[in-house]
Amino acid sequence: MRSSWKRTVALAIGLVFLAVLLLMSFFAPENLSTPTALIGGEKGPLEVPPFGTDERGIPLLEYAMQGARIVTLPSLVSGAVVMVLATIAGLVRCAGLTWVDSGIQFASELVGSLPRLVVVLVVALVLPVEWKNLLPIGIAWALLAAPGAMDEAAATAGRLGGERFVEALRAHGFSGVRIYLYHVVWLNLRPVIVRQGAEVTMQVVFLEIALSYLALRRNVPSFTHSASEFSWATLLYQGYTALLGSPLIHSLFTGLGLVALTAAMAQALRMAARAR
Amino acid sequence: MSWWTRPLVRVVAALLLPIAVPAVLTAVLWVLPGHPAEIVCPPGICDGTEALAERWNLHKGPWHFFSNWLASALRFEFGNSWRAQPGVPVAELLRQSIPETTKLLFLAMVPLLTGGVAAAVGWLPKRLDPVWQAVGLVPAVILALFCAAQVQIEYGAMSHDGWPATLRLLLGALVLGVADSALSGAIIGTRGVFEAELRQRYIQIALLRGETPLSNALPNVLPALIGQFRARALHIMSGTVVVEVVLGISGLGELLFDGTLKQDFGVVLAAAWAFSLLSAALLLLQGLLEVAVALWVRWAPAGVVSPGEEGA
Repeated sequence: MRSSWKRTVALAIGLVFLAVLLLMSFFAPENLSTPTALIGGEKGPLEVPPFGTDERGIPLLEYAMQGARIVTLPSLVSGAVVMVLATIAGLVRCAGLTWVDSGIQFASELVGSLPRLVVVLVVALVLPVEWKNLLPIGIAWALLAAPGAMDEAAATAGRLGGERFVEALRAHGFSGVRIYLYHVVWLNLRPVIVRQGAEVTMQVVFLEIALSYLALRRNVPSFTHSASEFSWATLLYQGYTALLGSPLIHSLFTGLGLVALTAAMAQALRMAARAR
Repeated sequence: MSWWTRPLVRVVAALLLPIAVPAVLTAVLWVLPGHPAEIVCPPGICDGTEALAERWNLHKGPWHFFSNWLASALRFEFGNSWRAQPGVPVAELLRQSIPETTKLLFLAMVPLLTGGVAAAVGWLPKRLDPVWQAVGLVPAVILALFCAAQVQIEYGAMSHDGWPATLRLLLGALVLGVADSALSGAIIGTRGVFEAELRQRYIQIALLRGETPLSNALPNVLPALIGQFRARALHIMSGTVVVEVVLGISGLGELLFDGTLKQDFGVVLAAAWAFSLLSAALLLLQGLLEVAVALWVRWAPAGVVSPGEEGA
């Protein structure tokens, strides 16, 4: 009972955080407000709620919302890609398709042998200019993360009994759809699939922040979004200048808060999907 | 499956990896819409597609490009950088950056190995796991940001020699070893593998014989642990890009990132190939260690008498 209550609370928290991200993304402004100052226009969260402004007087909320728009859809799609692939791997193990299973394992070995960020950067390099945004990069990341998720889902299905588990349920008179979708996926693979999906969603958000932050350090536009948009990395970069003495410490806290929100959402969804 | 199949697959994969990376890149260049030379250098940046195609051996099809590039790579010739560091030979850039990245990788493995060993021998209590997990949730870029600020405050933005350079390297290794669940994964993963093995019946029997559980379990868990550590080393290798750029360490990751940002195809391909060599070395090491462990396990321990000898 206590465990079920914990899962419900975790699900509620995860969904609330996800809704916050979706709302910020949906209502994000196309362009930032016109700067009110060249420098020295920063205001704290009490003067301009909820997050204050940067040194040009632009509300940090606008950066937060634009950043949410950059990451939300690509990260959710990437998470979904991993979930679908992991589900397929689990089902393949249960269906007893040994040659497909072996093929997946061999592909996993090869794909899993490369550092992900290196591949992502190469993908970013060869992408045509008009395709350069977070979505293809996120999907590339998801494909690189998929072997691990598929391996774990297949192992979980294997521990369940694989083919014999399906046979046993068939003997009880259950239909194939019910066995695979309800008994295998929903009741048994769900914790692994949701955890892997949530982790990749979070990783893609962090990947965007990292790539944009690195580009900001080099004073060049990031390849994860257009030059007119601002990622959450901008807040962290402003926060970095605050660590060196500029009065923008509220930017750092806003950026860290958004990172924490993403991590908390992933953790909550992961906890909510835990096995009974 | 024979005991040598998996190590053999790893050795073959290690040998194929440095060939597969340029092969896949070549395939991608020809599969994507548009002329490969326009993908290598978009028209907004470069003019004269035909001349560029000839310069990069892209004019005679994918096989010509791939075979020429690989043949040059085997001679450690990658041409000159044309945008990241114009005019400088890419081989020279690799020569300077590979040692830095290797040092960073080795240093970053120290916390992981220490944590793994401490977890295996039971020095780290399980109740501390939430602490490692919470620390591991912090992305590398955030930890690196704080470390970079600290170095800049103490020694200035241009401090890239002497002790500040060493400090950057040490902090980078610490970030890689702790962030993104690296340390928590090492501790919890190693402990999990050992706990599962210690529940096996043969361990109980070994205890009754007066032997230590660790010496019995170790040969059997080593293949799994070696696999886990290779995965973590790969993860760390991936993170070097972020840490090197943020902390200003002139390694392979920084070179790759600069090459990508400045659309320097020659630098990116060479750096990615160098990363694939490092990955291949890890795979090869894993394969060889697995063989060594298998031989160790199969080695007849002293004092064991076969049933026939016992009867005699």
